[in-house]
Parts: sequence; C-alpha cells; structure tokens
Amino acid sequence: MSGEPTAAPQAGAPRLSIADFATMAITFFSLAVTLQVVLIDIGTPPLRAFIASSVIFSATSQFAYLAVREAGGGEWAAIIAGTIVATRFGILAVSLIPRLPAGGFRRVLAAVNAFDPNVAIAVQQATPEHVEREFWRTTGGMMIGWFPGVAVGTFLGDVLGDTSRLGLDALFPAALLAIIGNLLRTRDGRTAGMAGGLACLVLLPIVPAGLPIILSLSGVAVAVALSTEQVGGRTS
Amino acid sequence: MTVFSIVALTIAVWGQRLIGGFAIGPWLERRPTLSKAASLIPAAVVMAVIVQLTVARGRSLVVDERLAGVVVAGVLVWRRAPFLAVVLSAAATTALIRAVAG
Repeated sequence: MSGEPTAAPQAGAPRLSIADFATMAITFFSLAVTLQVVLIDIGTPPLRAFIASSVIFSATSQFAYLAVREAGGGEWAAIIAGTIVATRFGILAVSLIPRLPAGGFRRVLAAVNAFDPNVAIAVQQATPEHVEREFWRTTGGMMIGWFPGVAVGTFLGDVLGDTSRLGLDALFPAALLAIIGNLLRTRDGRTAGMAGGLACLVLLPIVPAGLPIILSLSGVAVAVALSTEQVGGRTS
Repeated sequence: MTVFSIVALTIAVWGQRLIGGFAIGPWLERRPTLSKAASLIPAAVVMAVIVQLTVARGRSLVVDERLAGVVVAGVLVWRRAPFLAVVLSAAATTALIRAVAG
C-alpha cells in the first residue's frame, strides 16, 4: 500500500491508483470521525456538529476555532484563527486554476474544492485535461471518506462518554500534526512551524486567549527572513 | 461550535478559495516574497494551535500525558505513517500513561 500518492512518479505524472484512492478515503474518514468526536466531546450538540463539518469541510479551521474557544478566547478571536489557517486553500486555488482547462464555470467549481491532497496530485499532471481528471478523482476519494466519517463520528461522539480516559485530547493535536506533516518536511516550513509554535508558547501565559495563535503569524516573517532558498521559485 | 461561527467559517473557508484564486492570486504571483510568506502561514499557525492543545490549560502551561501522545504522533508523522496510525497511537499513548499514573 502506498501512503503517498504524490511521491514515486512511475510513467510520467503520478496517477491515483486504487490503493491510493482507498488510502485517501480512509484518511479523510478517520479525520472526520476524529473531528466529530472532539466537537461533541466539548459540548456541541450532535446535529449541529454534523452540519458544521458537512458545510465547513475543513478540519484545520474547525480545530483552530475550537482551540481558541477551549482556552477561553472570544468568538471573534476564534473565527479569525479558523480563517487564518484556511488561507492555504486560497493559495492552493492559485496554483490549481491556471493549470485547468479553460472555462469559467469548470474552473470555479474546481477552485472551491481545492484541498491539500487533490491540488498536490493535480498540479503534477502534464495536460489540463489530466489535471482536471486527477483533481476530481482525488476529490472523490476524499469525499467518499469524509461524509460517512462525519456520520459515524457523530454517532460515536454521542455514545463514547469520558473521552479523556481514551486519550482523545491528544488525538486533536496529533491529527493537526499529520495534516501539516508535508509542509514541515520542507526547510522553510519547519522554520515557520518552530517559530510559530515558540511564539505561541511564550505568549500563552501573557496575552489574552486567542491572540497567541493569531500572533504566531510572526513565525512566517522569521521563516522568510531566514530562508536561504532563492525567492522566485514557484509556490506550488 | 455556535451557529454564528459555523456560518462565518463556512463563508471564510469557501470564500477564500474564490477570492484567493481569482482576485488576490494573480496579484500575489507577481510578488515572490509575499507569495512565499503566504504559503508558510499554515505551518506557523497550525503549529501554534498544536502547541496550545498540547501544553496549555486555559492560559497556563501544563506538561501532562498529552505531550507524550503528541511526541509519539510527531515521530510517526516524520516516518510517514498513515493518518489512522498516527492519531490512534497518540490517543493510546496518552490513555495508557493516564491509566498507569492516575
């Protein structure tokens, strides 16, 4: 089983094999279950948790929001944190759009569905038609996992009971770590991560809840300043 | 989550793809330093969320069983373990230490 469809290009561009498709579905299934269990554990009514994950469809944004709220931060600080972590979707859309076949509607439809794995695979394809096809195949794998995961997780979260006994409070940060794993593998990503994490650690006891996460943006400035990579390379 | 936050985040998450992709994107592409900075935002901010969830209780720093679980997760992510293995190992580690210690 290949865990990373973006690596090991065989004949030309990487295509999503059946095993990769299944891995994608299982990953998004587990992610959705995790998110639902956490949401319900902290007191979100099950039906509302179900609707939230179905319409927002972004585990990182929801986790960021919850982290701020759990620390006692205000509603707006939490929403800002959830919005900042979603800026990457806009950036992913930027690298995807010019590679798609021409056509306003098809491009918009793909752009609003830009996620990390589907864009990563799509942008490696040679022709616009292949970009579009692999993009939607990967998106299909994600969605086939996500929506049943939301349903199962909503049910599980409702029946689990005392979740800290099960270590579920560690599941939440562990899931986030897995999501940004590939970014932390690059040198600049690692620098930004360490600087952002450190900023949060230092600020936590000092400033009001929610601000440490928003101010961790300073880690980006540190990473750009320390970067030795030649600026001007593609961001994708 | 409140109903307001669900509406706000839905608009923010989906809207950013349209604004980012069609309005800001072409402008950003011509500014390499800014566009590099933008691509690093998730690393910094998500890591801050991870730190908060791992060593904070409210506004105080606490080292407890969660840290052990997250360290295990870090090692597994580094070794490219599947998502399910990462999260289950983290939860199991934390639960186990908690059961033994508590």
